[in-house]
Amino acid sequence: MAKVTMIEAINCAHAWEMAHDPTVVVLGEDIGINGGVFRATAGLQEKFGVDRVQDTPLAEGMIAGMSIGMANQGLRPIAEIQFMGFIYPAMDQIANHMARMRHRTRGRITCPIVVRMPHGGGIHAPEHHSESLEAMLAHHPGLRVVCPSSPARAYGLLLASIREPDPVIFLEPVRLYRLVRQEVADDGQALPLDMCFRLREGSDVTLVTWGAMTFEVMRAAEQLQSDGVSCEVIDLATLSPIDHDTILESVAKTGRLVIVHEAPRNCGIGAEIAATVAEHGLYDLQAPIKRVTGYDTIMPLFRLEYDYIPSVARIMDAVRETLAD
Amino acid sequence: MTTFNLPDLGEGLAEAEIVRWHVSAGDIVKVDQPMVAVETAKAVVEVPSPYSGRIKALHGKPGDVVATGAPLVDFDVQAGGAGASPPATRVATPHKPAPQKAEPQAANDSGTVVGSMPTSDEELIETAVAGSDIASPRERVRAAPAVRALAKRLGVDLATLRGTGRGGLITVDDVMNTSGPTFAYGAATVTALKAAPASARSGPSSAPPSGEPEKLRGLRRAMAQSMSLARDNVMNCTLFDDADLHDWRKGEDFTIRLLRAIGVAAAAEPVLNAWYDGENQTRRPMARVDVAMAVDTPDGLLVPVVRDVGKRSIAELRADVDRLKRGARDRTVAPEDLRDFTFMLSNFGMIAGRYATPVVVPPAVAILGAGKLSHDVVAVMGGIEAHLRMPLSLTFDHRCVTGGEAARFLAALIRDLERGS
Repeated sequence: MAKVTMIEAINCAHAWEMAHDPTVVVLGEDIGINGGVFRATAGLQEKFGVDRVQDTPLAEGMIAGMSIGMANQGLRPIAEIQFMGFIYPAMDQIANHMARMRHRTRGRITCPIVVRMPHGGGIHAPEHHSESLEAMLAHHPGLRVVCPSSPARAYGLLLASIREPDPVIFLEPVRLYRLVRQEVADDGQALPLDMCFRLREGSDVTLVTWGAMTFEVMRAAEQLQSDGVSCEVIDLATLSPIDHDTILESVAKTGRLVIVHEAPRNCGIGAEIAATVAEHGLYDLQAPIKRVTGYDTIMPLFRLEYDYIPSVARIMDAVRETLAD
Repeated sequence: MTTFNLPDLGEGLAEAEIVRWHVSAGDIVKVDQPMVAVETAKAVVEVPSPYSGRIKALHGKPGDVVATGAPLVDFDVQAGGAGASPPATRVATPHKPAPQKAEPQAANDSGTVVGSMPTSDEELIETAVAGSDIASPRERVRAAPAVRALAKRLGVDLATLRGTGRGGLITVDDVMNTSGPTFAYGAATVTALKAAPASARSGPSSAPPSGEPEKLRGLRRAMAQSMSLARDNVMNCTLFDDADLHDWRKGEDFTIRLLRAIGVAAAAEPVLNAWYDGENQTRRPMARVDVAMAVDTPDGLLVPVVRDVGKRSIAELRADVDRLKRGARDRTVAPEDLRDFTFMLSNFGMIAGRYATPVVVPPAVAILGAGKLSHDVVAVMGGIEAHLRMPLSLTFDHRCVTGGEAARFLAALIRDLERGS
């Protein structure tokens, strides 16, 4: 595969797995004829037919419920929720059935389902189209929550998610869909789930983030480097379960931690990371843990969108504060 | 001429009805200027101009239904001098993108049905390492945040400490014991003495006097310095008393009993187990009782420190005292064993002398002298008896310790010392 955008990488991962695993089916709103509102599933119906690529009514609860039924009968559905704000009607099926089917049946029935959806803001979309609800999902036992931050990880982690025997919520940073291109080999190679990815090695401070915020964080790290501050950047990638070991080892090395996420601060995944480092890495910390997050308010409409999303300047300020302590 | 087609204003909506035009043919418009209000199945939406230029023609009038993708406005983008405004370009890290623009309905896919999708051909070059491959051992100092804060406040560099806590963790005590003026009685010369061959040392008392002036060296010089310092700074005041050891059984360990009694007395009157900074008139009572014991050596006085005498068992103290004495005599005592005492003990009575006026070495504030034991005639109820007694001399720094405090300390010390075991 040539240099592709994230949306193309996601499309390729679908196509690869559908070609190699006849049980993989795709369903969602506008995903068939239209190819998905972001074109993630473009061309799949033409290639694999309407039986395997099904347009559904505007009924997220039904999409999730149908996926559970399909999965229980031996298929591997990939369901698309058009925007993250639309997941709420599906939460009953996801939380009460999808996440606990294995537990309920003592492992007899599993739900090999991927529920894909765009994540976060930054594309000037209207209300309900820019949410970052990963903490709500991560709070449910039985769900794996994954969020790639590059075309290569979108490809590799989506393949891994489809091959998982248990449900995966796959969050796609909408702002990154077409932001950059990356050389990705369309070779069916999955990347490991439940593992962080270290995007930058550093010694002064550990920056943990995921999804679209990796771009702001990487840029902040580059600018701080010219000030002589060496940042280690960790992309969480799998938001639940969290690869705490990698974070703790990095904090043991740097002694400082800044967590960056777009979602609101209150009860966010950043709080979970901070609590775990406080429990297991307290004696390595040389300064209080900092969080740079969205605000505890509704994601604003598009003119204020970038006042809400943590900026490079806010991240750099937090790093400087933690270094001053 | 450029034609602007009606964009998809909703999610896959096929058409929209023109409500009203805000512009007419011939108008010069700017990017983002509202051109027309259209009503879709969902809402009335203002359509802004994607270009700066002159409007050549409007397609449709209020009430007309226009299909998505059908021509809406013709522009002459050369007019108005502004030229075409390119769609907002975005870099790899969106900073503050320009406000939303309705993207011209180009032949290629905009990639979204709502808002605008940031797009670039920039290539992402990254090295992503899955999981952790940190193989290097931990070199960082491990300390609780409270300890770090304390060290920062006291100006202690944690990197210079060796933690005594679990797994080398640096504790509050480690910081406290290092902060402030580090002092040691003669410690500065220990290394030099260790290196020097025995023959080079100042001669033992058995050597015949040379009759020549001899420059003080090593321990002796250190003693001269610290005694001068004490003379110039400390207000020495000495209390004398005796401890009646009649209840002792045979074989009691004098040194250990003295150490234990100091621990008990320090608990009763903690102000004597303290450091005093005369310059700043600051007194620091110490939590731990670390007793410096004077050891007489041919080279002079050496004062190794027995740590935490208030809390440790007799056997532990004995082992420590033996180790320190041996170390003092053969010059292997470590510098850290000579530092940072909180109280001093002189056992001069092992040689001779009943009472003395021992000198307090700052920043400690008290020193106890134990004199030569003797069987004294003691008046008891109903007659006279001969009791073993230990003469005691307690010198305290009267700048920061009152006579009452010193007397109460001595009373507690004697009470503990006189116990049968």
